[in-house]
Amino acid sequence: MNLSLSELAKKLNLPESTVERWIKQGRMPVHKESGKCIFNKSSLIKWASKHNLKFMIFEENNKIGDDKKELTFLSSMENGEVFYDVKGEDIYGVLENAVNKISSFDENQKKDLLAKLIERENLTSTGIGNGIAIPHPRVPVENFSESAVITCFIDGTVDFNAIDGKPVFILFILLSPSTKEHLSLLSKLAFCMRDISFVEFLKSKPSKDSLIEKVSEFENKS
Amino acid sequence: MRKLFSLRSPSRWFFFRADDRLLLILMGIIVGICSGLAALALSYSLETLLEFFHHYSQHWWVFILPAIGAALSSFFLNYVLKEGAGHGVPEVIYSVSRYGGLIRLRSSFSRLVSSCLTIGFGGSAGPEAPVVMSGAAIGSNIANFFYLNDRQRVTLVGCGAAGAIAAIFNAPIAGMIFTMEVILGEWSMVNIIPIAIASVAGAETSRLLVGNYIKFSHLTLNTNFIDMVACFGLAAVTAIVSILMTRMLRNMHHVSEKVKTKPWIRAAMGGCLVGLLGFQVPEVLGEGYHAIEAMVQGTFKAGLLVVAVAAFAKILATSLTLGWGGSGGIFAPCLVIGSFTGLAFHRLLVIVFPEIAWVNEGCFALLGMAGMISGILQAPLTGIFLIVEITGSSEVMLPLIAVSSISTTLCHYFEPASFYVKDLVEKGQLLRPGTDERVLTDLSVAELLEFDCVVIKKNMMFREFIEVVKSSKRNYYPVENEDGSFAGIVYFDEIRPYLFDTLMYDAIIIEQIVDDKVRVVNYTDDLSEVLKTMDNNGLYSMPVVSNNRFAGMISKATILDHYRKELKVQTT
Repeated sequence: MNLSLSELAKKLNLPESTVERWIKQGRMPVHKESGKCIFNKSSLIKWASKHNLKFMIFEENNKIGDDKKELTFLSSMENGEVFYDVKGEDIYGVLENAVNKISSFDENQKKDLLAKLIERENLTSTGIGNGIAIPHPRVPVENFSESAVITCFIDGTVDFNAIDGKPVFILFILLSPSTKEHLSLLSKLAFCMRDISFVEFLKSKPSKDSLIEKVSEFENKS
Repeated sequence: MRKLFSLRSPSRWFFFRADDRLLLILMGIIVGICSGLAALALSYSLETLLEFFHHYSQHWWVFILPAIGAALSSFFLNYVLKEGAGHGVPEVIYSVSRYGGLIRLRSSFSRLVSSCLTIGFGGSAGPEAPVVMSGAAIGSNIANFFYLNDRQRVTLVGCGAAGAIAAIFNAPIAGMIFTMEVILGEWSMVNIIPIAIASVAGAETSRLLVGNYIKFSHLTLNTNFIDMVACFGLAAVTAIVSILMTRMLRNMHHVSEKVKTKPWIRAAMGGCLVGLLGFQVPEVLGEGYHAIEAMVQGTFKAGLLVVAVAAFAKILATSLTLGWGGSGGIFAPCLVIGSFTGLAFHRLLVIVFPEIAWVNEGCFALLGMAGMISGILQAPLTGIFLIVEITGSSEVMLPLIAVSSISTTLCHYFEPASFYVKDLVEKGQLLRPGTDERVLTDLSVAELLEFDCVVIKKNMMFREFIEVVKSSKRNYYPVENEDGSFAGIVYFDEIRPYLFDTLMYDAIIIEQIVDDKVRVVNYTDDLSEVLKTMDNNGLYSMPVVSNNRFAGMISKATILDHYRKELKVQTT
């Protein structure tokens, strides 16, 4: 097959000048003819693997990964559910009731998730102040492809040992497949929570639709 | 026309595309024959010239002949072809290691003509180096003609050198070994086979045209144990003479450089001195193979003192010829001096231990030759195989190996680099395959550039800069002036204390924190120099600046990464 020098260099993940020099020096099984690099694919792959190099011939297929939807708080909210009037006397009770409401999880998953949330809660409280808590597992959830935020409005308030001591009225349970996404989600959530008007809006226990509308307003702002 | 074009690019033929070994063997045969012919042409014309001038050897003005020859050859090289003097082997070695064996077409005959003039008129020099040079040039140009790549060209250069040596001595193995040991400096299978074939082709050419004539085939060389012991002494003596000759040759060069005149006049002066020396010791003139023959056959009757003086006279004559601008090699003079040394040593042994039955003097002359070649060229295998092949027997094998290896080792103590590569080593240009220097020379700064640095402007506020920091991956931030010229570097380490101090965000301008005295690298810089600078200053990254603009960063990590790839590609 034949490729241009720059394409070949890209596939080998080498600088163009190196590939050009190696061809000139006869170090790789490639011939140059009127600006095209001509080679036998299998012998080049063999050569590359012999020299600890990689020849990525199927690079085109790898591009699919880049088209992945960009992670936003909004999309995670849409992925998750919103529950109202979650009951509970203390942290554990609230968490248990909240987790039990998740419709897409089976019994085992619920048990597993609850254990992880409680484990994290025992470490330090996830109450980040202003009556908001963000329970999440310490390690990313397995077999989970897209991040989701599960919003739970608590019936009344619960003492969550929050950093500012205020009782908590809302939980955002953060579930994400990787630490990186978790951090990005956390930072976006924190951006919203810093706004007092948003907190006031949450206290009014809005419907899922209006909540998402409000969040999208924020997304556009930032 | 198109058909003709495709004939010129055999490496693209389907048959050779997958594996070029057959192609190289085929080319090796062609190159071997061509360089063999060149070698024969030189040795034939030398013989004719020497024969011609032999008739006049009784006249008083004969001392002027070497001067005329040296002047003509110097004039020819410097003014007609505009090539430097010198015997050519270092040039071939350098071209092989640096330019993929590229040698100019005119080199294929320039040294032939010039050395023919020098030696034919009586100058003391050897025709081997010129023949190697032209063989190599023939190989290189044939490779160019057929559009071969660097690696293949280097092989053909080796083929040319091997074919030439093989033809001139009728010694195919010596040709092959000389090429591997001296010219290429590596023993790789891809090279050995075409070069061996070229050697055979060169030797066969010589046998067809001149006849299969093995110079000393009828000698009886039965060495005893006691001769073996004597060999150690001979090895030491040849080592001393080798060192003497190496130093003499080089010093003569420095002496002649002090004489400020035109090169051809200088060559003529040297030639005159050689001619005068020739009055006293006629053996020093020319390549000296007649003297060697006489000594090996045992017909050279002079006593110890005369032989010893002749050895030194030959050294002097060779230094005068080559050091003052004559053209030719040192291979043949080495052999002559070696046989003088061997003979002198034999004479000395006979005087000191008259009761012992030593082997004949010819054998010692041969061993002396091997010792000299091994000492000066630091190529023991070449010495051994050359003698084995010109005697056509392996009887002297044991003492040969002993003399050659000991002589090489002893010389190596005093002269770590062989005569051929000494200049290259001094200039840092000896780049044998697979060595650190070679890898670093092949890599260029441009190949190692890292482009993932974010360039910032000098008048940027610190607050904007914080945003840049958030989105960048590197710890170095090159800074440029308003006009885009390089201003310096901001090191992340140095701004760490202010990073979390929000008060500073609007108080600092990049201009205030930029390090404008950073060491920079240019595209043309030597990588070994760059690495040395990094080591000496404890740097891990340096900015590359071209035309006063920032081009990218170069870092030790990337250098190591590419270094390893390059080493793997070069050595396997």
